[in-house]
Amino acid sequence: MDILLYFLDLLVFVGIFGIVALSLNLEFGFAGLANFGKVAFFLIGAYTYAILSQIGIPFYLCLIAGALISAIFGLLISLPALRLRADYLAIAVLAFGEILRMIVKAEVWLAGGDWGISVSPVFTWMGSELIYRLENIGLVSFCLFICFLVVQLLANSPYGRVMRAIREDEIAAEALGKARAKYKAQAFMLGSAMAGVAGGLYAQYLQCIVPGMFMPMVTFTVWIMVLLGGPANNWGALLGAGLVEFFDRGANIAKDYLILPIDPSNLQYILFGALIIFVLLYRPQGLLKESPVKTKALEAARYGRGSVKNEGS
Amino acid sequence: MTINWAQILFNSVVTGSLYLIGAVGLTLTYGLSNFPNFAHAELITLGAFIGYFVAERLGLGLPTAFVMAFLCTGAVGFLCYRGIFQPLAKRGATIIHLMVASIALGFVFRHSIGGAWTWKPLYFTATWSAFDLGPLRVTGLWLWLILAAVALAVIMHLILVKTKIGKAIRATSSNPELALASGINVDRIIWLTWFIGAGLAAVAGVFRAADTQVWPMTGWDIILPMFAVAILGGIGNYYGAIAAAFIIGLAENIGVVGLIALGLSTTYRIGIAFLILIITLIMKPQGLAMLFRRA
Repeated sequence: MDILLYFLDLLVFVGIFGIVALSLNLEFGFAGLANFGKVAFFLIGAYTYAILSQIGIPFYLCLIAGALISAIFGLLISLPALRLRADYLAIAVLAFGEILRMIVKAEVWLAGGDWGISVSPVFTWMGSELIYRLENIGLVSFCLFICFLVVQLLANSPYGRVMRAIREDEIAAEALGKARAKYKAQAFMLGSAMAGVAGGLYAQYLQCIVPGMFMPMVTFTVWIMVLLGGPANNWGALLGAGLVEFFDRGANIAKDYLILPIDPSNLQYILFGALIIFVLLYRPQGLLKESPVKTKALEAARYGRGSVKNEGS
Repeated sequence: MTINWAQILFNSVVTGSLYLIGAVGLTLTYGLSNFPNFAHAELITLGAFIGYFVAERLGLGLPTAFVMAFLCTGAVGFLCYRGIFQPLAKRGATIIHLMVASIALGFVFRHSIGGAWTWKPLYFTATWSAFDLGPLRVTGLWLWLILAAVALAVIMHLILVKTKIGKAIRATSSNPELALASGINVDRIIWLTWFIGAGLAAVAGVFRAADTQVWPMTGWDIILPMFAVAILGGIGNYYGAIAAAFIIGLAENIGVVGLIALGLSTTYRIGIAFLILIITLIMKPQGLAMLFRRA
């Protein structure tokens, strides 16, 4: 029974971080944006949810509000840096995340400071932890499904192809009349909104949030998920989220059973870091490769009427 | 409450000196290798720990600690570039991949340091008692820090302008292909820059550690202002970095007075550097570099 509960708990985490990984995949994988402050938008979502739910607003409105506020901040913070090179955006957003964590830590009246905020759960505790977790899995997988659908549809639409074109060659895309800053800003906003939803779900599930949960390590963990699973592949992002969370739990269990000369939580980060360098060196495309663009026009050109017509004439 | 402006100015110079020593390596390697090395924070931390180990555990005194920290961390910086970033760049990694790799490397270092030493803050036993110098309250360490920054500024200036190596560094920074075609061993110049940059980061780390404390986040605590210095100064621009370090030092110290006056937490001190960073990105992304075009 305990193992089952533990597994369900793991599933909730995989779902929540799957949403964050999808959002980063949208930004980095498809649009080529280096968001090194993912945790900032996760934090905004979580704190918005927590603060709004305290004053009795229904949970779905809290989630939506978190997504909206997160998107607005995403736009505001990315606008100065989007016109510039990828590294400027990375530094600006990373710094933004650190500042936000500082703010929620310092402003006790707003966010409870170091003690954080407690959040009342959506689902009433009906005596059974199993049902509680299953309900949470339902909620999280519903949000995950919607996010997955949005990113998947977007990636294979003309819009997604423009994003990929900007990722591959900004100047060429610009020459074709695609306003790169506009597309980048939209991708960044959408990604931030999704991270905001994930943050809200996280706050809801844990029922308590403290600033220490939103360290830069969270951003980095999401990057590992995307890079390991395969950038620009949504299944890859989900696979990465699953693998990393599983590994994370494994390390936590190992802590209790193994006697190592080095603290396992330190070892885990060292291994994560080494793993990412290894992936970048030897398999930069990740476990699952980016699938080629599929359009009706391309299919027609390859197998369809065009070739048939030529044979006939 | 009267505000002692002389003291604020002095504190700004102290802060700026620390940022200058730490950020020189960051901005030079950024300019040469075209990516911001986020692991620079951990090079600062590593230097602080090596300094602590040499000075406190081995009991060899602070001067030896500085030299050892410079040499060991410099070697580590060189190995990082040679072992990870250079192979990555050769395999056609984009700037985003290089940045992620540097963050990953930072985590490896930070947690290796945390695992090998400790996550608890450590303090140098040598204390620097404050004394009055005219209207100022100073410590010997601060005076040494300012002296070190001034010496660094002058020596680096002479190296960059007068020596062949310095000219080669500037040439490689502004146009690697042309430098290569002119017979400059570009690889060797980049390795040397990584060595010196990492070594200087370590020196900044030891100063910071002797002034406050040593723990695995020592470098991360001060990396954001250093990025602000690199960007405000113009990436890869040494003279811009000198000016930017002192501007940011000044802004932080005046800002702290302002924060206290407004009744806000002084932990927002780092936020001031962030504000300058964002304003620079909006107004003049090339930073102060345009003021120092010839350099």
